[in-house]
Amino acid sequence: MQIFYNIFNVILDAGATVMLPIIITIVGLIFGVKLGKAFRSGLMLGIGFAGINLVINMMKSSIGPAAQAMVENFGIHLDILDVGWGSIAAVTWASPIIALLIFAILATNIIMLVLKITDTLDVDIWNYHHMAIVGILVYYVTKNVFLGVSASIVMAVVSFKLSDWTAPLVEDFFGIPGVSLPTMSALSSVIIAAPLNWILDRIPGVNKLDFSVKDAKKYLGIFGEPMMLGLIFGCVIGALARYSVAEILTLGVNMATVMVLIPKMTSLFMEGLMPISDAAKKFCQEKFKGRNLLIGLDAAIVVGNPDVITTSLIVIPLTILMAAILPGNRVLPFADLAVVTFRVALPVAMTKGNLFKNIIIGLFCTAAILLAGTATSPILTALATEVGLDLGSNMITSFAGPSLTVSYLIYTAFTGNLLISVPVMLLAIGAIWFFMARKGRQSMAKA
Amino acid sequence: MKRVLVACGNGIATSTVVATKIREKCEENGVAVTVNQCKLLEVESKADDYDLLVTTGKFTGGTVTIPVITAISLLTGIGEEATLDQIVEELKK
Repeated sequence: MQIFYNIFNVILDAGATVMLPIIITIVGLIFGVKLGKAFRSGLMLGIGFAGINLVINMMKSSIGPAAQAMVENFGIHLDILDVGWGSIAAVTWASPIIALLIFAILATNIIMLVLKITDTLDVDIWNYHHMAIVGILVYYVTKNVFLGVSASIVMAVVSFKLSDWTAPLVEDFFGIPGVSLPTMSALSSVIIAAPLNWILDRIPGVNKLDFSVKDAKKYLGIFGEPMMLGLIFGCVIGALARYSVAEILTLGVNMATVMVLIPKMTSLFMEGLMPISDAAKKFCQEKFKGRNLLIGLDAAIVVGNPDVITTSLIVIPLTILMAAILPGNRVLPFADLAVVTFRVALPVAMTKGNLFKNIIIGLFCTAAILLAGTATSPILTALATEVGLDLGSNMITSFAGPSLTVSYLIYTAFTGNLLISVPVMLLAIGAIWFFMARKGRQSMAKA
Repeated sequence: MKRVLVACGNGIATSTVVATKIREKCEENGVAVTVNQCKLLEVESKADDYDLLVTTGKFTGGTVTIPVITAISLLTGIGEEATLDQIVEELKK
């Protein structure tokens, strides 16, 4: 027994880069992937984690001091670094309880499909990280595995139901039938957009407003290009830090580097997980053969829509300005400005491309993300440090993980006074479910 | 050597799946390719250097001069082979 305990401790002490290959190999084997392939998958994830660590290291050592100087010079108190959703996904996959959560989420999906309370078949294992991170944070705070798994299951149920309800939008507005988007990074905006859209439609005068921006891409297109965004962003922060010209330019190029490298590192994760995702897909599609299911896909498939792109290009610079003046916000938006498209995609479909409403709703959504990001940053930073990200004294967040509105609410419910918060949460979910079931399948499209 | 650009929402998730499948298929068919990934927002500034653009969702946000193939079937698994054949066909031209 002692020897197993020792081995386990050595692995734990070695950190994520060693633990990831082992955990993922085991997960792969359970899904029936061959040992060699499973191990390569695992190793690739370990490499991805090490790579993300390198880039974050570069980011914190270049922009960390500049953000500090900006606070001192102008009192712009934005000291929480947005390290991007990929970094948070890496932390998620490196957690000791990730294997348990993956199976709990998959089991939740299968059980809901068997009971016919969802139509979404979600075998996009990669995006399970949105549901898993909430469970991992709850486990980290409460040290209770049962609560952690429960939190991820609630996230899963909410994700699948929101996917079901928004599937008509995906079909009608984006023209992709038979598909739903169980990606919380896109779904989360819906709970802000649905009521806000309803209100905006009932304010006399406002409900008639709409405008279109011609050539948005011509003038704002650089906000859609990560490297240009990184360069400009770095230079502006450098100027606000009152750096010398040489230092300003260096910071610009460094930030452009970070913007380009983070996705490259994250794609290693994706590549590593592919064999496992494929195995899960085969397994489930055979199980539910013949039934008309919505296939759950990454929301990446809808963000190429021109209305989504135009809205994002306007919301991105406004979000940066808003970050500076939003009371209570300490998040310096950066890496995830590149994925604002995901946050606005479903609201855009909901308003049927009304640009005025899209910008208003988009800004409410990013404001909620900034505030939840500020609130959860201490615990997220502590978790990331524990699994092995080298952050120094910097605080981190992203536009994903617990910053997403739905994830934040569920995380808060599971870490508050359980006797009050959990029943309130379940009641809220139940009420919305009941309401949606009564309105019928088309309701989201009409609302 | 043909050059293929695969674009998706963030240039990470679905484009990796599609890029990997295209590489495997081309290798089977003896077509030499380099496959690169990017964000849909970057497509217009990059497409000129490529022979074929493959997108994972509907791409309606801009104009490119190279052939475009929508490859959502490689994600859903429905009609996957037909799309892969279409891609190989296009690259053999």
